[in-house]
Amino acid sequence: MTGFSQGLLDALLRDTHLILPQLFLMTVATLMLWPGDLMFSRAEKHKWAPITLLVLAITAVLVTRTTEGEGFSRMFRMDGLTRGFQMLCVLGCAGAVALSVRLLDSLKQQTVEYYALILFSLSGMLFLCGASDLISIYFSVELMAICIYILVAYLRDRATSVEAGMKYFLLGAFSSGILVYGISLLYGAAGGTTTNLADLNQALALTPKSSSLLVFSGVLMVLVGMGFKVAAVPFHMWSPDAYEGAPTPITTLMATAPKAAGLAAILRVFGTGFHGVSSDWVLPLSYIAGASMILGNIAAVNQQSMKRLLAYSSIAHVGYMLLGVLSGDPQAGAQAVWLYMAIYIVMNTGAFAVVIYLQGQGEGERIEDFKGLGRKRPVLAFAMMVFLLSLAGIPPLVGFFGKFYLFKLAIEQGYVTLTVLALLTSAVSAYYYLGVVSQMYFREPEGEAIPMGAASVFIVTLACILVLVGTAFGPWLLDWAGKVFLA
Amino acid sequence: MFTANTTLMLVATFLPVLGALVLLLVPKDQRRVFEIGSLLIMIASLLLSLPFWFGYDRASDAVQWAGAWNWIPALGVKFSVGMDGISLLLWLLTTFIGPIAIACSFSAILERHKEYYIWMLVLQTAMLGVFITQDMFLFYLFWEVMLVPMYFLIAIWGGPQKLYAAIKLFLYTLAGSVLMLVALLAIYFLQHQTTGVYDFSLASFQAMAPVIAQQSKSYQTLMALAFFVGFAIKVPMFPFHTWLPDAHVQAPTAGSVILAAILLKMGTYGFVRFLLPIMPTATKELLPWFIGLSLIGIIYGALVAMIQKDMKKLVAYSSVSHLGLCMLGLFALNPYGIKGGLFQMINHGISTSGLFLAVGIVYERRHTRMIADFGGLSKSMPIFATIFMIMTMSSIGLPLLNGFIGEGVILMGSFQAFPWAAVVATLGIILGAAYMLWMFQRVMFGPITEVNEKMEDLNLREILYFAPLVVAAFWIGLYPGPIMAVMDAPVRKLVEQVTPGFHAAQDLAVKQAIAAKLGMQGMAAPAAHHDAAPAGHEAAPAAPHAEPAHGAPAHGGGHQ
Repeated sequence: MTGFSQGLLDALLRDTHLILPQLFLMTVATLMLWPGDLMFSRAEKHKWAPITLLVLAITAVLVTRTTEGEGFSRMFRMDGLTRGFQMLCVLGCAGAVALSVRLLDSLKQQTVEYYALILFSLSGMLFLCGASDLISIYFSVELMAICIYILVAYLRDRATSVEAGMKYFLLGAFSSGILVYGISLLYGAAGGTTTNLADLNQALALTPKSSSLLVFSGVLMVLVGMGFKVAAVPFHMWSPDAYEGAPTPITTLMATAPKAAGLAAILRVFGTGFHGVSSDWVLPLSYIAGASMILGNIAAVNQQSMKRLLAYSSIAHVGYMLLGVLSGDPQAGAQAVWLYMAIYIVMNTGAFAVVIYLQGQGEGERIEDFKGLGRKRPVLAFAMMVFLLSLAGIPPLVGFFGKFYLFKLAIEQGYVTLTVLALLTSAVSAYYYLGVVSQMYFREPEGEAIPMGAASVFIVTLACILVLVGTAFGPWLLDWAGKVFLA
Repeated sequence: MFTANTTLMLVATFLPVLGALVLLLVPKDQRRVFEIGSLLIMIASLLLSLPFWFGYDRASDAVQWAGAWNWIPALGVKFSVGMDGISLLLWLLTTFIGPIAIACSFSAILERHKEYYIWMLVLQTAMLGVFITQDMFLFYLFWEVMLVPMYFLIAIWGGPQKLYAAIKLFLYTLAGSVLMLVALLAIYFLQHQTTGVYDFSLASFQAMAPVIAQQSKSYQTLMALAFFVGFAIKVPMFPFHTWLPDAHVQAPTAGSVILAAILLKMGTYGFVRFLLPIMPTATKELLPWFIGLSLIGIIYGALVAMIQKDMKKLVAYSSVSHLGLCMLGLFALNPYGIKGGLFQMINHGISTSGLFLAVGIVYERRHTRMIADFGGLSKSMPIFATIFMIMTMSSIGLPLLNGFIGEGVILMGSFQAFPWAAVVATLGIILGAAYMLWMFQRVMFGPITEVNEKMEDLNLREILYFAPLVVAAFWIGLYPGPIMAVMDAPVRKLVEQVTPGFHAAQDLAVKQAIAAKLGMQGMAAPAAHHDAAPAGHEAAPAAPHAEPAHGAPAHGGGHQ
């Protein structure tokens, strides 16, 4: 071996401890595909779900144990922000996997690939949370997204699922193109020296005035590319269709984990990379945030499908979280976004668990199907009501606490107009969330109650308790958020 | 952390929700258990609250039975409770109305008993919580929580348009309160900038008044308007009142009673507790608008009530008119006006509850509320007619009954401040007498139809839940002193917060008047008084920065 490649190998090995969770995930996922696939017969494929959950648990432990530092030519950085958002990604994936079992069983679509793809996608997310270079951001985004394209189109004998996958893929590929183009412009503007965010920050500060348009278009394109990934208005068009067509556990996944990873990347790009370079991005980003809140909440009002409703509502929630990105204090902003995301994952997963229960045989995701749930399954309906009211931000549920903390920060940073907009649109959101509640409680039920899977019961119960009593533990929540970021 | 008395106050407040948790375990076909159980819980809460009436120190204007627990130290949020005379009165009104609202539901609620009584109990705790909290975060929490049970009470057990009415109530109030939240946070940060600490306590917010008064005019106006809209929707003041007729008409009787007696008072309480002491300067700046809207509310509500064909809608619009009168009193910003406004809040709670209960009674028997369907009921239902008459008289302010005192004091206060407004308000009171008496006449007298002849008079249960209201109406009307005494000190403090030096100036004026009479023979003395009187008034606006700062430590001290 030559000295150069020996040095490279040394460097790689020296930094592996930073990406242990990802390496573990990739190894396990590869082994699952082969020879793991041979372990269970066709009828026993559902056994992969608990195994995947175990893998996720181990990953969570690894995430908490990974040492801090920066490596791989400063392409990846393990710090508090990375760890915090990585935990959220694992949490989101675990919820989706647990919810998958029953649905895939009933559709007779259990395969090992499904679970392996989730794990591959998760490793992409974990990379994305810590990516500190525009190139590694791009790679991680692709790893994460390509697996999700396939998962969206997973029910291949169903036209809606395939259509959703195709749409998502085309728009995703398009947005990746814009992202790469933006990266290349920034690389050029910085004198062709670096794509590392921290270096870029310094290099861009020194660029002459004449190239400010170049920098601005680069930043804007990166913004557009990232906006696509988290489905912020006006780059949200794919999301309601993809949400509706995808198998519902994958919809749950899309609404939680990739959003957390995407927001982590946005926080890092705008917090580290473009922080203080040019405030040109603040205005476009605040327009994006405002538009997401308005359109997300207003478009949700008229939806007939629960999945589309939750899709639009998740657009609105991303709009709220972008308020945290706008914060002039990146650390405080990241903390507020993280707390909001954690709460959002809990209540959203809970709500999706109820939707999945109602779907039964893969049908019945219309809002009308919630009719009379309060009579048929009082406990379940109560839980759903708690999730919906929490999503609407009604105190004392924990969703209120997340909003309160985020909006408090936004007002502190002087974004009063946007905060007023956020609060008024969240009042609008109460309208459509209550629409579902009124279906559950004020309409007569039809048909018989269906029994519920153990995993779903567990998730709904746990999430409901967390949402109900969360606010009382406000100080501990804040402490926890602080510790995650300082660790 | 909490003294025994504070703990007792918390028990009385949270007893309903604890009871609701117990009732949750009862199987849902046990109708009697829910009815009697929730009634007993409400009565227990009432009994627990009574000692506070006697134990209240009427000489002190501090927050009494104060207790606090550091809930979220990082944000400066405390679980901080306590009451002054103003909160005490409304808190007692709430525990007083609670059992009545439950008792009137026994025959009105025919389905889903379990959910109904549980929501009623949850609502009760949320409302009681609003009146005892001394922390803005906690206040906002209770304020919003209240909406959810009310939404369900209307949307499940309401009339034909219940869903529309419920969502309208919810969204209207939510939209108002989120604006208030923004203003709250803005003041919170302003306070951090000036004092360096994060604190959500009510006392620290009130201590911010001089700092807010120094901010730019547009800042003050926006803050005051955000608070104003939040509270005005709840009151409701014209033009934010449109949710009220819908909600009242669709709500079940108990829902209307609670809505009228307590929920609307949250808005007026908000003005007294927050807008006036925190932003006195901006309030005075915007006062012509506020007074104007109150007057429009008085006249408009009365005129619209006059043409109503539905009894319940008539009473609902009469609430708009009466609450306009309360607001007029509060905005007079002098002791008479504020006392009258507060007093009228209690009165309105009693008389309008009685009227809604009465409408509920005829509705249960005939399943219609149209005035045209009735006539001559005094023949078939003499007891009912008597009670209905007492409540009507109480509502229009007949002497010897409670309404008279409230209206009289409000008019005194507003006449001192704005004579022309008092004149317009009097017109509203006259209109009020007209539409109430006209309704009473059309329903109670005249020829009786065959169906109405068969209507049964009140049964014992119904007499029992009307009795406390009748007693209260007479008691307050004949002997208003004790209630006035309870709010004496807090109102004095409030007026001092709004207009520092008010009482000193007034005392001076009185002394001068006496001195002028005594010293008529010396010509020099009156001349000196004429100089002194305006000087006292001039000094008043200049003092604000010093005065509340003195008040603040004492206020905060009562808190810990």
